[in-house]
Amino acid sequence: MNATTLDARLPYAAKPTFAEVAEGELDAVYRYLVFLTRDASVAEDLAAETFEKALRAWRRFDPSRAAARTWLCGIARNVALDWIRAEKRRRQREHHYAAQTGETLEPVWAEGVSPELERALRKLSAGDREVLALRVVLDLDGPAAARVLGISQSACSTRFSRALQRLEELIADEHR
Amino acid sequence: MSTAELQTMLKAAAPVAPDRLRERVRSLQPAPRRTVALPGFPSPRFPLRRVAVGAVALGLSAFLAAAVVHGVASDDRNNVAVGRSGGVVMKLGPVAESVPATKAATDGRRTLAPDVTGQGRLTQAVASLTLRVDGDDRLSRATSSATRVARALGGYAASVEYVTPAGEPGRAFLELRVPTARVQEALARLGNLGTVVSQRLSTRDLERQLERQTAQIQQLRQTIDLLRVALRDPGITPAQRIELQERLAYAKRALAQRTHGRKATIAEGTLARIALVLTADRDAALGGSHGSGRLGRMLGSAGSFLALEATVLLFAAIVASPLVLLALAAWAGSRVRRRREEQSLLAVP
Repeated sequence: MNATTLDARLPYAAKPTFAEVAEGELDAVYRYLVFLTRDASVAEDLAAETFEKALRAWRRFDPSRAAARTWLCGIARNVALDWIRAEKRRRQREHHYAAQTGETLEPVWAEGVSPELERALRKLSAGDREVLALRVVLDLDGPAAARVLGISQSACSTRFSRALQRLEELIADEHR
Repeated sequence: MSTAELQTMLKAAAPVAPDRLRERVRSLQPAPRRTVALPGFPSPRFPLRRVAVGAVALGLSAFLAAAVVHGVASDDRNNVAVGRSGGVVMKLGPVAESVPATKAATDGRRTLAPDVTGQGRLTQAVASLTLRVDGDDRLSRATSSATRVARALGGYAASVEYVTPAGEPGRAFLELRVPTARVQEALARLGNLGTVVSQRLSTRDLERQLERQTAQIQQLRQTIDLLRVALRDPGITPAQRIELQERLAYAKRALAQRTHGRKATIAEGTLARIALVLTADRDAALGGSHGSGRLGRMLGSAGSFLALEATVLLFAAIVASPLVLLALAAWAGSRVRRRREEQSLLAVP
């Protein structure tokens, strides 16, 4: 039984404190954001922002409706999407400068990741990385991951299968 | 590489949150709750959500309280409502204690309706009276007496229906006509024929209507005289003569109609209509019964008021429903756009 289902199966469990939840889910949220943004330092800022928003909305969190990890990943996703939108606009403005100077800043993924895996992950779309992070790294089950993504369970399963397949192909290409 | 191996690789590559991030999260402070300070009560402050819930509960309580008050207020058996045309409508119980007696219609045993027929003014009066009598024999005598009362007052019985079905109490339905000026007297004398279950008298002033019809008739007569004078003029052309003759015919028809209408108005105000119901049913409801009867009327009135409130709310909902549908459509559209935008954002590496 994974962490996401344990809380949900305790129908009348007392609501934990925010500090307890933050301490227990910080790594999971951080990992999710690293996979989504491909940048450890950005993920750090976004994780802090995620927990700020979660603290403000803590009174509305109902543990009987969703696990804390699912709830936090939903907030983190919105925070990350806002960052991606802002990043897209920034790149459009700075495209000319980067083309002239030839400067490209390569974000740092994280320590301890093999180069070929990192290269393969970078080639995946953000959507593929996201579903891999939720299902594999954070160990969310199908319904919980679908809830975070805002899609049906069948669509989530399909997306996960395709993401795994693409990653497999990319790693195989790296080995050639 | 198998799927299991791939997943193991991914899990192994999962980074750990740095300590500085952990410290940042630990140092977060909860934001102050949104509260509302009620006027006159600077403290304590109430959470916004509780205030909203309380306001909704208060609104519902006000709806119910208004219905109860309406039920109590409308139970006044001696209330008087002024009609739109300036008439007076009264609904009276079997004993109208607080209503002052009149000279023309007083009874040692009962106090009766006040004189509202408007002395000197043409007034339409319509009344209904329900009496309970003891047994079919009394019913028969009361029916005959009622017609004699109408005739004695200068009126007549327009219709009489007498029914005594086997095994059931008998009933009689009478349509009486009495001079309007004597309607109170008629009600008083008819009331003596049995126990009054209910009575109702409504009046409507017809004087203004009569004056208006009289003025129209005078104007039409003047018009007819002028047209006749014009037709005697030898200098008019044939076409003009035809037009004048058409106008004269039209005016004569209008005069006939107005004259007929005026006669009907006078007739309406001359004789009052009384619908009299005589019943031998021992269980006929008495308007003066206390306890559950009063409570029943109050509850019924309160229920009617609640139904009226519900109707108003339903009407408001119907009026607002297109706007709500538009808002829902806009919200759904924005959700679809947002979903597509997310997909496009996440489609790129």
